[in-house]
Amino acid sequence: MPITTTRRRLLAGSAAALALPAFARAQGAVKPRLTAISQWSAGSDGAAITALGKKFEEKGGVWQHSPVPGFTTEMMNKLRAQIMAGDPPACSQLKGPEIAAWSKIAPTVDLDAVVAAAGYEKVVAPDLAKLHKPGGKWIALPLQIYSTNMLFLSKRAMDKAKADKVPVTWADFNDLADKMKAGGVPYPVANGGTRPDDGQKFEAALAGISPLAYRAAIMKLEKKALEGPEIKAAFAQVRKIADWMDPNVGAQHFSTNLKRFVDGDMGMMIMGGWAQGVLRNAGFKFEDFIIAPGPSDNSKPVFLLNADAFIFWQRKEPDLQAGQTLMAQLVMDPAIQTMYSQITGSIPVRTDVDLSGEGWSDGQRRTAAALKDAIASNQAVLSLAHNMAQENGMTAAMIDVITEYVKNKTIKPEQAATRLAEAVEGAR
Amino acid sequence: MSNAAAIRPGRPALPEWVRRLPEYLMIWVPLLLSAAHLVSFSLWTIWISFTPSTLIPVSGWVGLRNYSAVAASRNWQIAFDNLLLFGSAFVLLSLVTGLALAILLDQRIRGENVLRSVFLYPLAVSFVVTGTVWSWLLNPGLGIQKLVHDLGWTSFKFDWLIDRDMAIWTIVIAAIWQSSGFAMALFLAGLRSVDTDIIKAAQIDGAGPIRIYRRIILPSLWPITITVVVIQLQFAISTFDLVRALTNGGPGIATQLPALVVYDLMFQRSLLGRGAAAAVLMLLILLAVLLPYAAWRYVQRRRAAHA
Repeated sequence: MPITTTRRRLLAGSAAALALPAFARAQGAVKPRLTAISQWSAGSDGAAITALGKKFEEKGGVWQHSPVPGFTTEMMNKLRAQIMAGDPPACSQLKGPEIAAWSKIAPTVDLDAVVAAAGYEKVVAPDLAKLHKPGGKWIALPLQIYSTNMLFLSKRAMDKAKADKVPVTWADFNDLADKMKAGGVPYPVANGGTRPDDGQKFEAALAGISPLAYRAAIMKLEKKALEGPEIKAAFAQVRKIADWMDPNVGAQHFSTNLKRFVDGDMGMMIMGGWAQGVLRNAGFKFEDFIIAPGPSDNSKPVFLLNADAFIFWQRKEPDLQAGQTLMAQLVMDPAIQTMYSQITGSIPVRTDVDLSGEGWSDGQRRTAAALKDAIASNQAVLSLAHNMAQENGMTAAMIDVITEYVKNKTIKPEQAATRLAEAVEGAR
Repeated sequence: MSNAAAIRPGRPALPEWVRRLPEYLMIWVPLLLSAAHLVSFSLWTIWISFTPSTLIPVSGWVGLRNYSAVAASRNWQIAFDNLLLFGSAFVLLSLVTGLALAILLDQRIRGENVLRSVFLYPLAVSFVVTGTVWSWLLNPGLGIQKLVHDLGWTSFKFDWLIDRDMAIWTIVIAAIWQSSGFAMALFLAGLRSVDTDIIKAAQIDGAGPIRIYRRIILPSLWPITITVVVIQLQFAISTFDLVRALTNGGPGIATQLPALVVYDLMFQRSLLGRGAAAAVLMLLILLAVLLPYAAWRYVQRRRAAHA
């Protein structure tokens, strides 16, 4: 087959010609290169990852970030397509139990050596560390932490209620809401109408009532806990919250109503720490609102963890491998985590970063302190609404029940608890 | 060119298939390509629906398990009920609105062109835009209800968007606004194509305008009516962007539609197998509309050939 031979030779020749520059680079010092995808394209998220890219370039790397704007799931669709095409990015955004699920469909990088070299493991919350080493080896690195159950209080609404005490327990919360209503605040609870919003109301309620029950029912899906009295109590609390919300919000994003919140037309908001960044971005001052840990019936802070992370996908190219090592070192670096969190309003993953300096807000300091306390009292749990506690399919099945309950006032708490247990069974 | 070659004297005529080659190429290549595309991906989806695929497609056989899981889920049941309600209400109302507009426009009024463009214009707007604009108009705190309240009628209530029993009707309203102009355009063309001699003959016989419409014009419109119904129905079945922008399936999950469920299963929940099963169920619903239509067309053609 002379023709085939020639064609093969031609192919081999052109492949060699193409590979030559890469080979030459590999012979000398490899210039680290990183291909990365994430959903962070705009606002403070976009600014933060751009700043990270700058740092990467300062260290002599080539930064190739392709943002996929929109929901996390849209980023995942791109990731899925790239993995199926055999061309995964060197590094991609991914978080929670999805790290374990996705690591089964494509080989990931073993980061144990670089993590050990940085002494990182002992400064990360244990529950969080577990998510990033599903097979016992580090394959992903958390980047920043948010609490999904921070309590934002509108100063003007507090004035209307003639209250100055920050509520600690759910009873305090309910009390304050009643006072606000009596003081002329039409809607004591500010909210959006999206699925994660509704989910956050429920997880904040349950974790605040009993972190133990939350861990057993939501994180471990124990049948007994799912049918326990705490779930019903949490749904009952959610009904109270829902009654204080503006029903006209429909499917709006929580940020739509921030002005009404600051104006004292709405009183309290249970939202993730990122709302601080959004409020600041919208031009509101720190004097306009108070940030505190979400209500907790045992008075010790409960921390609902939401952490963004990067997972590293195996690549053969030496420059990409060098880029992955550099990226891992940067992500664990306290200075980089400080820079990142100060832009986005989150708190660093490392529990040893000092937040007393300039550039940190009181809210961030309080959040970091709450995390420390919560870890100490074993009250740091993983967020359901933000896909940290369960894989997407299970999360969605549970949020279906919660969001319907929030919007449909004829459903009784007992019914909702039964439906939640059924939804879990159905999605298993 | 081939024709010229064939006519030119003194040369042997090219074989029939060579002369017709351009025609064959023009018809068959695109047809085969699109058919291969459509059929292969449909078959692929059907195959996936029988596998245990989650994050990525995998081989394996789970029989009808994906189907039973989808059919048993609350989301699908609500979506299916909504589809029945939305599909029939939307098709019927857009038909009536479109016909009414067409008849009114057919009165040889001044400014017909302008009005026709106005009614047809919503069709040029993307469904996402329609959904978003109507989500503001229908929001009780921002839109129509607030306007009427501000005008002084404070007991006025129009909060369908946030009422989980009525929310599906907001989608009907927005969809009718968007596409009744399309029905109108088709009906108008139909009205204009009615033989004027028959109408004149009826007028000479003393028939009034209502009688002429009822006995002559409307009966001649029914083939167009069926076309409109089928086109609108297949639109209704595949409605996605409108609901996503208007209610996003809410309040709660009250306005789920099958296309939303498919998207949700495949891309939000990463359950490819179940999503594919839901997509196949949607295809079956679509076939339930299209097959009778195709049969009807076939019968019509046979009848026309015999006449």
